[in-house]
Amino acid sequence: MAAGRTLHVRCPTWDQVEQFYSRKLRKGKLLSMKVPFPATVGSPVTLGLELPNGVTIAIDGHVQKASAIEGETGKTWIEVELVGFNDDVIARIKAMAAGIEKAPGATPAPPPPVAAPAEPANKLPRAKSEELPVDERQLFQHLTAELRRMRSAAVHEVLGVSREATVDEVRRAWMLLVRKLHPDLVARRKAPAITHLAEELTILSNRAYDRLRAALVHEGGAVAVGSHVKAPPGWLVGFDDLSSGDRAQPLKPTGRSAVASVPPPFANTPAVPQAATGGETFETRARAMLGQGDADNAQEVLAAALVVYPRSRPLRSLYYVASAMAALFKGEVMLATSQLETALAHYDQCIEAARLLDHLRRHDPSDQEAMKRVFR
Amino acid sequence: MTRSIGIDLGTSNSVAAVIDADGVPRILTTPEGSTTMPSLVWFSPDGPVVGEAAREGLDHSPDVTIFGAKRLLGRRFDHPEIKKLTRTLPYQLIEAPNGDTWIALSAGKLVSPEEVCALILREIRRMAEAKFGAPVNRAVITIPAWYDAGQRQATKDAAQIAGISVMRLLSEPTAAALGHGAHRGADRKYLVCDLGGGTFDVAAVDVEGGIFEVLATTGDAFLGGDDVDRAVVDNLVRDVRTSRGFDISTDTIAVERLRLAAQRVKHDLSGSAGANLHVPELVQLPSGKGVEYGRPMRRDELELWSAPLIRRLEPPIREALARCGRKTSDVGEILLVGGMTRMPAVRREIGRVMGKEPSEIANPEEVVAIGAALEVARLEGTIEGILLIDVVARGVMMSLGQSECETVIAQSSVVPTREHRVFATRQDDQSRIEFDVWEGESPDPTDNRHLGRYAAVDLPEASSGDVLVMVEVTIDTDGTVRLGATELVSGERLQLEQVFHAGLARSEVARLARQLAEAS
Repeated sequence: MAAGRTLHVRCPTWDQVEQFYSRKLRKGKLLSMKVPFPATVGSPVTLGLELPNGVTIAIDGHVQKASAIEGETGKTWIEVELVGFNDDVIARIKAMAAGIEKAPGATPAPPPPVAAPAEPANKLPRAKSEELPVDERQLFQHLTAELRRMRSAAVHEVLGVSREATVDEVRRAWMLLVRKLHPDLVARRKAPAITHLAEELTILSNRAYDRLRAALVHEGGAVAVGSHVKAPPGWLVGFDDLSSGDRAQPLKPTGRSAVASVPPPFANTPAVPQAATGGETFETRARAMLGQGDADNAQEVLAAALVVYPRSRPLRSLYYVASAMAALFKGEVMLATSQLETALAHYDQCIEAARLLDHLRRHDPSDQEAMKRVFR
Repeated sequence: MTRSIGIDLGTSNSVAAVIDADGVPRILTTPEGSTTMPSLVWFSPDGPVVGEAAREGLDHSPDVTIFGAKRLLGRRFDHPEIKKLTRTLPYQLIEAPNGDTWIALSAGKLVSPEEVCALILREIRRMAEAKFGAPVNRAVITIPAWYDAGQRQATKDAAQIAGISVMRLLSEPTAAALGHGAHRGADRKYLVCDLGGGTFDVAAVDVEGGIFEVLATTGDAFLGGDDVDRAVVDNLVRDVRTSRGFDISTDTIAVERLRLAAQRVKHDLSGSAGANLHVPELVQLPSGKGVEYGRPMRRDELELWSAPLIRRLEPPIREALARCGRKTSDVGEILLVGGMTRMPAVRREIGRVMGKEPSEIANPEEVVAIGAALEVARLEGTIEGILLIDVVARGVMMSLGQSECETVIAQSSVVPTREHRVFATRQDDQSRIEFDVWEGESPDPTDNRHLGRYAAVDLPEASSGDVLVMVEVTIDTDGTVRLGATELVSGERLQLEQVFHAGLARSEVARLARQLAEAS
């Protein structure tokens, strides 16, 4: 997370707010502006949108284009894609404009993929932020945005290193994060909400560090430190991952080089007797559809099949794989990851889920062709 | 205004310190004017007596005078070392209903080690309150680095009973490095060896730009000055038998007097090559006449008797270095902490293993408490630029039913951290899932320490495998373990039921705290 710059946009009236998001933003997400610092493409920025009621909403984004302005050294013209500016945010602004939501607070975190209501988690900060002085509120919002970003990021993204980073780079990146986010550094503010956020952020960074370190040890890139955790599938991808402690036979740990050891696709392997209770024809059809990239129809076929064969584990897991594919086509990598892991939790022999997870971890998630190939 | 203090709760001696307004560390002194307070509680007929005054109890009623309670804190009764202690301690140990070790006082009264430590902590708290003239209710308490989650929780419980809220549990080697002022010197790789009254701790600590990073911690939970004393006593008992012709091994009072004399002579022998051991009245003859016992002792005699213990110093040091992938030559400075490191044989042995002379610390007994006081100041924001990063000494594992233990959080993971496991129901309409949480490294549950058995209850009715329970294990900065559970399909938080747990129950801790507060 290379130092995310924060841009401030102040809108004194609700009309201006509406103008800002309906006119100023192109395609609802792109914001062009002049900034007094050199910026590089791809670097994260946070937009602090100050509303007339004094609430500042933090919106995540990253620089898409950047060009230096001639004659004005240090200034850059940038185009920012505000990925965090979604319908929820607009709905919230509208609600506030209509006077419904009075209590200033953080933007509600997007609901965790499988766990639905985000409300309980938000209660403590929400009540707290009213008393926070301005700079603390900004800090609070910054930390909230940071937490949201990190929760959905793969481990190397949390640390801000490349997938091939060495053990030293990983360590340095982690150290930088800890220097910035450790809860002890904000303990003197005596603000429980901020301490809590800092602790959550530190937990994420520490976990990312330990997981990457374990993966490096696995590959021989680092010295073994202590005992090992058997890497559950997908644990390098995102944090909302699942692994089943309840499986009959543990799945092979997906090391970084595990893809070669994964058996050929599902279609050729006989269905496992204890798990399969029929519905192979549905499976074949659904798989063919997924191979075409037709995730929505595959989902319907599988849903129909599950009515007939409600106990078939392969069908259930394939259903989750289909919904993961649908999520992937919408670019929702985090959701897809958790769906795939749910698929594995239901049926750990689901090779498609394992392969897709592995694919997500190693390759560009937007490469849809490669993903479809998993099913052929 | 309330004040906070740093406390080194030791096996044999406890020390408390604060950082003054001018930034100078100050050690609090006992009413007797000493900087260290013996960790002793004498359950006298008139109520508990703590500290120096309790030494009197050692002399005539060793069965109700508790020393070394820290070694029993959060320990299971069936632990082999506790078994060994049961045979040698002058007071009686007993197994609590949940398998913990408790102490049986003579009047049939039972007392938990948490309560004994609480009495010591309350005495320190009173001492500090008398000095400041203000209430003291927050503290940083130091603990051995290898303490498991059960022992950490027990320490926190003891503090709560004493009316102290724990700001942080700080590992002793880290506290020692901090108290030594490692952050002020050049960046360096330290190896801290802390040999106290009852415990041996080793930690590899890197100090870089004010950041203390603990890379690995190991130790021996049952190696310390008390063991040396016991080795000396065993030999003296044999000597009494051969030279005087009577067996005192079953006479607890005589053995206790011999132990006190052995302790004194051990201290003397750290400074000189020879000293005199003297017990004015070892036993009473049936006629009522006292028997005196005395003999000269040489340092090499002491070293010979304690050699088997000294040899146990090497493995934890090697293990700590191995865990962080270091060679002995990578270590920049060796810090020796704890009263026992004054013994020349200990310094020599550690110097031999490391191939380098350990540094001299002027006040090895006080440096840990000073570190704790610095930590207080750091957490309150009066000193800046220091950050402590610690690791878990043992992995956390989970198991379901009869299955093998599976590591959830690996040893040497950086704290705070969190990991999770997902369990699925195996039967239709299964309403609860029970699982065990362990601390250790082995797939075999009997090799690990059982932290507790928990159950996710009131699961929604659904067919087998459709209910997924995610259990999250969080280890916080203190190294204590917290659990949380979520039902994944609905996303609802689940209540976890404690089927079995080690240590005192929460309600029991609260009750004892009230009781102690009312008594004082």
